[in-house]
Amino acid sequence: MSDHVPEPLLELRGVHAAYGSIEVLGGVDLSVPPGTVVALLGPNGAGKTTALKVASGQMVPTKGSVFVAGRDVTGVAPEELARRGLTTIPEGRGIFPNLTVRENLQMATYAGVPLGRVEEVAYERFPRLKERRSQLAGTMSGGEQQMLAMARGLAVEPKVLLLDELSMGLAPLVVEELYGIVAAIARSGTSILVVEQFARTVLGVADVAAIMVNGAVRRVGTPSQVEHELSTAYLGG
Amino acid sequence: MRTFLTATIGGLSTAAIYAITASGLVVTYTTSGVFNFAHGAFSMMAAFMYWQVHVAWGVPTLPAIVLVVFVVAPLFGALIERVIMRGIEGTSEVVKIVVTVSLFVALLGLANVIWPPTQSYTVLPFFNNAALSIFGVKVGWARLIALAVALAVAGGLRFVFTSTRLGIAMRAVVDDRSLLQLNGGRPGRTSMLSWAIGAGLAAIAGVLLAGEQTLSATTLSLLVINAYAVAVVGRLRSLPGVFVGSVILGLLVAYGQQYVSSEAAIGPVSLSGAVTAIPAVMLFVVMVLQPQDRLEARGATRVPTAARMPSMKLALWGGLAFVLVTAALGNLIAGPDLFKVAGGYLFALVMLSLVPLTGYAGQISLAQMTFTGIGAVAMAAWGASGSPLAVVASVLLCAVVGAVVALPALRLSGIYLALATAAFGLFCSAMVFNQQDVMPGLSRQVPRLALGPFKISSDYQQLVLLAVTFALVGIGLVALRRSAWGRRLAAMKDSPVACATLGLNLTATKVAVFALSAAIAGLAGSLAGRTFISDEFGLPASLPVTMLAVVGGIGSVAGAFMGGIFLGAFPIASTVFAANAIGVFRFVSLPVTDLVAFAPGATGVSLGREPDGAAPQMAAGFRAVGESVPSLVVSFAGFAALWLLARLDVVGGWAFVAAVLVFVLAVVPLLPLLFNPEDMGRKLATGIFVGLCTVVTVFIPWDTAIASNGMRALVIVLWAVLVVRTAIGVHGAVPDVVPRGPRTSPDMVGIDTPLTRADAVDAGRVLGIDEDELDLVTGRSQ
Amino acid sequence: MTVLELESLSVRFGGHLAVSDASLRVEGGRVTGLIGPNGAGKTTTFNAICGVVPPSSGRVLLDGKDISSAGTHQRARLGIGRTFQRLEVFGSLSVADNIRVGQEIRRSWSRRKAALPQYLDGLGDPSPDVELAAILTRLDLVALADQPVGALPTGQARLVELGRALAARPSVLLLDEPASGLDEQETDAFGDLLLQLASHGLGILLVEHDVPLVMRVCERLSVLDFGQIIAEGTPAEVRANEAVLSAYLGTGPTPAPGAPGAAPVEAQ
Repeated sequence: MSDHVPEPLLELRGVHAAYGSIEVLGGVDLSVPPGTVVALLGPNGAGKTTALKVASGQMVPTKGSVFVAGRDVTGVAPEELARRGLTTIPEGRGIFPNLTVRENLQMATYAGVPLGRVEEVAYERFPRLKERRSQLAGTMSGGEQQMLAMARGLAVEPKVLLLDELSMGLAPLVVEELYGIVAAIARSGTSILVVEQFARTVLGVADVAAIMVNGAVRRVGTPSQVEHELSTAYLGG
Repeated sequence: MRTFLTATIGGLSTAAIYAITASGLVVTYTTSGVFNFAHGAFSMMAAFMYWQVHVAWGVPTLPAIVLVVFVVAPLFGALIERVIMRGIEGTSEVVKIVVTVSLFVALLGLANVIWPPTQSYTVLPFFNNAALSIFGVKVGWARLIALAVALAVAGGLRFVFTSTRLGIAMRAVVDDRSLLQLNGGRPGRTSMLSWAIGAGLAAIAGVLLAGEQTLSATTLSLLVINAYAVAVVGRLRSLPGVFVGSVILGLLVAYGQQYVSSEAAIGPVSLSGAVTAIPAVMLFVVMVLQPQDRLEARGATRVPTAARMPSMKLALWGGLAFVLVTAALGNLIAGPDLFKVAGGYLFALVMLSLVPLTGYAGQISLAQMTFTGIGAVAMAAWGASGSPLAVVASVLLCAVVGAVVALPALRLSGIYLALATAAFGLFCSAMVFNQQDVMPGLSRQVPRLALGPFKISSDYQQLVLLAVTFALVGIGLVALRRSAWGRRLAAMKDSPVACATLGLNLTATKVAVFALSAAIAGLAGSLAGRTFISDEFGLPASLPVTMLAVVGGIGSVAGAFMGGIFLGAFPIASTVFAANAIGVFRFVSLPVTDLVAFAPGATGVSLGREPDGAAPQMAAGFRAVGESVPSLVVSFAGFAALWLLARLDVVGGWAFVAAVLVFVLAVVPLLPLLFNPEDMGRKLATGIFVGLCTVVTVFIPWDTAIASNGMRALVIVLWAVLVVRTAIGVHGAVPDVVPRGPRTSPDMVGIDTPLTRADAVDAGRVLGIDEDELDLVTGRSQ
Repeated sequence: MTVLELESLSVRFGGHLAVSDASLRVEGGRVTGLIGPNGAGKTTTFNAICGVVPPSSGRVLLDGKDISSAGTHQRARLGIGRTFQRLEVFGSLSVADNIRVGQEIRRSWSRRKAALPQYLDGLGDPSPDVELAAILTRLDLVALADQPVGALPTGQARLVELGRALAARPSVLLLDEPASGLDEQETDAFGDLLLQLASHGLGILLVEHDVPLVMRVCERLSVLDFGQIIAEGTPAEVRANEAVLSAYLGTGPTPAPGAPGAAPVEAQ
């Protein structure tokens, strides 16, 4: 990142992380400046999800630190980060399948926004959720589930939003719609870090793209700069 | 019709109490993953607490109930979660079960200390047992209140779980714990709340039950165990299932009480206990009806276990030494004490039966004493002359019964095996061991073994027989563990799904190991050679056996022995120290017997901090001794010398005990180090120090210097520990024999852990460099 | 010759269709690849083949016989072996003992001489120790034979799983990401090993994310996405398939110029 960029809202500095004795991240540096969408791309097993887990507090790095709005938050519990405006929508579907839609939204209120407001925002953006508010979330279609997860990201008005594999197992049309919402959230000033395997979809939304390979960020640039490198990273070369 | 109606209304009110208890059980199980075997004990404590507040202190009914149900019980539940249950998160199912079983035993012990059973405790039923007439049937207010409370609980739980954020969070934590955290919820707090609610519901049941009978800790705790059968109807997870199950069980029990008279019998089989057995039978039926659990491939945990396999040589020598030491010790002990020591050995043998089941295969049983009972009774029936053939027949019977009991539960997960065996224990108490033909007058003498013309005739011979049996079975188990089948059991414990995909029939294998375990427990019973009373085969007797076997360290034969001696020692300690109290500056004075009642459970609860049990750690210290011949020789010579001194009355009994303790704790583990050729100066100093201490110990006039037995025992232990600490101080730190914690993978050595010489030697072996060359490389020389 | 065949297999978890109408053949003596993005249903397909999860419809045929109703251990006895994406090694046992357990379980149910694996060629029906030594040598695990598997790094633990599966002498081997955790050199050697095993008659179904490895060893590839087989063919055909590219990279409104579809196939 160049020098004139204001202090990043989220920053990983030299982060190492390991599962037991197996090191997955070997010194990751990554920063998300205010109001930007950063896409973290890379092949399977590169450590993208682990990097996101470190950022959200779910994993404590073995070395290095995590900064949110300039403050060192290394080792702070994920629930405390969540209550302070760092919202994470994890891989898979970030919903509770055995709770109803409304109850799922109620779980979003820990971040400080009252239920009424959460519901208002969610239903306005996704009228379909309003129709299904007393339905168990697990019985909805994959796309609807992901909308519910996104509704949380939208309604709690986070300072930083972390998105992991938003598109996993979803039809391309739905993915496109979801990324439209990501763009809308970005316009409201939220900084977003998106981890994604579906590189092409996210590149239309991202301001900055970073490619991760083998536990380190190999290249950072604008989407057009990194695009041609993707095929080698994904399908070998 | 009238009686039918009465029974129905009675049954529904019983159902109400089951439902309240079982829903508490389900709430804690679903939200924290721990099945609380102590739930019944929670109810029991609440009932006594209510007696204390209401009757003893004279607080009026309503405030007393509020205090117990809404203040004390929830606080207690939350405290248990915070202090104990949080520590066992992520441990194996066996440890989770044993910790709550220990809590059960500890609470039972605690209740007996606070409210001694010598006194009688009664609470008047609500409204003085006034009754109301419904359809011409008189119904006590207490029963109506129970029904109303159950409905209120159902409604209340529904409200909490669907309309409050905390309640919804409790359901959310089951769905996805980490997602709740990412939302900002605090799973620790929801777990504490769920334990608080669970304890509160247990307390409600306890208070409702308090008016029904004279309070007895054991009866109350076991009564509530019936609720387990109800919880199984909802697969331990569904609240509506709990309510359906409660109604079924409540009605069955009520009709049973109404229509099956206590004199009823089928042929020679008395049905006097049939009603008590209904919940156990229901549990089995429900389990048989449930579909098989699916295998799951979630990734096996790969923490290498610390427990090492003893070599066959060590097992053989150890077995021989064990028999010799027993023979020597037994020779010193006389009369009734010998009988008690034999009791400890019997427990040790029963615990040995858990080594293959729990230690090797990772399954659990809460009914080992029941199998012991079956073995004992079968021996009494078939082997009046003490014939070894009768022993074989009894053992086979136990194996068959064990297989039949385990089969339905083994299709399901571990918690069900615990429940099924507990139910089996209750069933046998109600339907087998109270039969006139099985245990006349509720007791039965097991004939002593006769090997041809040689018949066991004295307590001493009996003790030696038990020691020989223990040694033989122990050696057999070590051989088993080293065999192909033993490897397969260990493999199954690590990853059932991998074994299945290699072609192993999991159910058949588990049934076989359960049958083996039941057979060993039965062997203990058939060789016991003494009189048993039926209570010795009940569930309350089996629980401490399983608990202490796991505490001792279930992976090893030595652990089983430690557990057995521990359990056997309690009654000895209670009689020896009956008159003593341990005082701290005269402010607090606890009678030793009370301490003894409470201690076993407390040690089990401590397992949460050391899931491996005690034996592996002790074994680490002593293992090196087994591998060094001079150390072994000195150990035996020293022990023999002490014994000789005692035999010749040169030293008194207490001095002998103290010297043995110092010798075993301080001298023996240090021996291998002392015989190590490096750094002679320090070794010599340490050797002289521990030698002197042993001699000094022998000549301290323990018998006369301290008047009280309890105090004397305490001082001896403190002295031994002091010697150990000082010896280590003189010698410097004793290196760990077995490194604790996960081992670093070889490719990380030198990166995140320092390179040690052992690592270099390992690497050298792989690379084919021999040790001398290695020294050149690492720059060291001899 | 087809050893394993899936006929319109579907697996449903509650409302979620994890595998939908998937058909697939595994030929003896070849490596067949099964690839697809995360969450496409590859591991679920494996679980359905070896009986760990029940299929909601469709059939699994082994050597032409329907084995859909057989239990997990029965399928293993009929010749299906597998490894696991998330390791299921026996962590408390040594490397050699892990493989021994595989042998011993097989010997406990099989008195017939299961088709002798060809890496044992020339050894007749060897004694268990000879077979163990052969497997250890073949997998390059001799030096680690006495190490507890719990202490091994992932790559080697995966080889132990493979050795254990081989010890059961399967006719079809399902490998779930066997090369993750191996470095480049080890992966190359592993590819050679797979080809050797296959050349001796074993049918291998390989799930793997290491695309170069897949492209090298597989003769045919099936691509799974949303639980459906979206493409099938030789590696080159699959690489050129637009549906596959969009499954991996997502479909943007307009495919970017110079997209990987046009990239030369022999990238190595």
